Amino acid sequence: METYQAEYDKDGFLPETFWKTPQRAVPGRPLQRIAENEVMSGSSYQQFQASVNDAWDLGDDEIISGISETKISKAISHTVALNVINSHRNSTKNDHKPDAKLDGNSVKSSQEEVVSLKKSEVRKTGSVSGPLRHYPGRPRPVRPSALIPREESSESKLERFQQVLESSVLDLDELKQLSWSGIPVKARAVTWRLLAGYLPANAERRREILERKRADYKHLVRQYYDAEREEETYRQIHIDIPRMSPLVALFQQITVQVMFERILYIWAIRHPASGYVQGINDLVTPFFMVFLQEAAPEKELDNFPLDTLSEELRDTIEADSFWCLSKFLDSIQDNYIFAQLGIQYKVNQLKELIRRVDLSLHEHLQSHGVDYLQFSFRWMNNLLTREIPLPCTIRLWDTYLAESDGFATFQLYVCAAFLLHWRERLLRERDFQGLMILLQNVPTQNWTDSNISMLVAEAYRLKFAFADAPNHLHNAGKSDR
Amino acid sequence: MGTREDEYDYLFKVVLIGDSGVGKSSLLSRFTRNEFNLESKSTIGVEFATRSIEVDGKTIKAQIWDTAGQERYRAITSAYYRGAVGALLVYDIAKHLSYENVERWLRELRDHADQNILIMLVGNKSDLRHLRSITTEEAKAFAETNGLSFIETSALDSTNVEPAFQNILTEIYRIVSQKQMRDPPEVLPVNTNCPIKYVEENKRKTTQDNHSLTCCQQHDAISSWTVTNSA
Repeated sequence: METYQAEYDKDGFLPETFWKTPQRAVPGRPLQRIAENEVMSGSSYQQFQASVNDAWDLGDDEIISGISETKISKAISHTVALNVINSHRNSTKNDHKPDAKLDGNSVKSSQEEVVSLKKSEVRKTGSVSGPLRHYPGRPRPVRPSALIPREESSESKLERFQQVLESSVLDLDELKQLSWSGIPVKARAVTWRLLAGYLPANAERRREILERKRADYKHLVRQYYDAEREEETYRQIHIDIPRMSPLVALFQQITVQVMFERILYIWAIRHPASGYVQGINDLVTPFFMVFLQEAAPEKELDNFPLDTLSEELRDTIEADSFWCLSKFLDSIQDNYIFAQLGIQYKVNQLKELIRRVDLSLHEHLQSHGVDYLQFSFRWMNNLLTREIPLPCTIRLWDTYLAESDGFATFQLYVCAAFLLHWRERLLRERDFQGLMILLQNVPTQNWTDSNISMLVAEAYRLKFAFADAPNHLHNAGKSDR
Repeated sequence: MGTREDEYDYLFKVVLIGDSGVGKSSLLSRFTRNEFNLESKSTIGVEFATRSIEVDGKTIKAQIWDTAGQERYRAITSAYYRGAVGALLVYDIAKHLSYENVERWLRELRDHADQNILIMLVGNKSDLRHLRSITTEEAKAFAETNGLSFIETSALDSTNVEPAFQNILTEIYRIVSQKQMRDPPEVLPVNTNCPIKYVEENKRKTTQDNHSLTCCQQHDAISSWTVTNSA
């Protein structure tokens, strides 16, 4: 990670110079300057515009002209900067003061990354073939140091969380900004409750609300679970729970399974439009683990005997998991309604997005008969919980919960970033079978938080590039040449 | 999967369908990887695996689509029936409801699959003798009436898993090779670039060693082909 930081320092980026020399190369992106020149010169601007007329609506020339003058709107640059700073903080060793200079650096680099993303699209969508196979902003290869958990940076981060969390009226925006790049273990449970909208921002009301909600949940258990149950729903949940995490002893305990069963059954009965859909069970697990971690700090959780916790603590874990899951699922309920229309829609968006940003990968998949639904359905349905290790899912959800406009949209970009992450391997596969097997079994066993930080940073860049131009994702087919 | 996976004479797409929890994924992992996980995770949407077998000196590659059993997934999974030449319709011999639902699954296939699809009824979990709730005779009779092949398997102790897949693939192969005898240029609606080759009809010999099978239709695959065809 030091190397990573050193690259930045060596290039001597200073906030002042950035604004004047936007065409400066971005570390690790050697071909930047070429792209810069193409866009900067007047004649190649025409070329540029012609080459991307399918990619950019007229309304987007704000962004395009912004490339030459670097007049990206302040609000946008601010958010991008903050997020990239956050991800940098998380993915680099935090051995320097979080001062203005760092912010300046990150502002600049984030700007350039965004700009370079635009240009890479120019090349890709405009079929301006060149040696630029590298996808700007793509997660860099994992360096050995990235595999070492970076708890050392969490001390100062935890302090910042504590400051925010202890203020009498919570600054939710600040909490989101802090959380986006990952939440320290000690602050996670309470932060998740706040971000999920389960706990109120007003600190004085929290205790009262928690008590009421936990009592409400007990009431729901009596009303629905302890009463006569809807057979089909119960049967399906009952089949699925024992096989959720078959290799983890924690989840083989009857106590735990019954907790999951109640949470899922009550949620399903209270949401008849979707009911229980296989996969939702996997979405309880992160909440459960985070609240268990809070109740049993410093314990090895994989084998943790839940019966050693007091009944009160167990009830708390269960009730809080239930309410947070409910809040969390509110924004994605269309994923689970009849015909799973929400997912079908997002799969189409994913396809269109990949076609825009990585035509060669898209064509590779298409030419071998791989349909996006075949592999990304599970990604969307289970929010990638089946594709990455549980600790990574929890880290990913820090970001999901902190996404200001809800994670439903953001998840699309995460899936896109996830697919792009495997592009080189995918391009090496020569047939349908090879592609499908890889896509269903992507090797993420050794992934750590830093992989997730890179994944969400990439997702953020994609979102930034496309969020202001939603038509790009909607005009699938129309703009085809 | 150390062999050259891309060398094969035939590519057949087969789907695994049936209620949730009857053991579709376990049958698949037993057949393709010879593995059994006592508690494998529920299948979300569809999952894919492949294995090649030899029939009459020809390499047949089975492209097997394992589908989620839950009703809610029907809209997604039915899309995968298209192009399938075979279906293993699985129920759990210890769960009567999963057997009752076989008719629904047959309707599902009739509505979405190729009309010539070959269907094998599979009673899985035959190791659960003490919990059995559907007799072999009952299921066999049902299969006969509906023109299906039938076999009982146990993915757990491997009983009949190999023969189940072998048998349906062999049957498909016979039909395809006979069809090719009649109309050589015909290409099966399998996957893209399906390299179906012309083969001479090889009077069925291998079926005779299928002694362990309880297959009611294997003596005349073509008749079952025709039955489903006219249904």
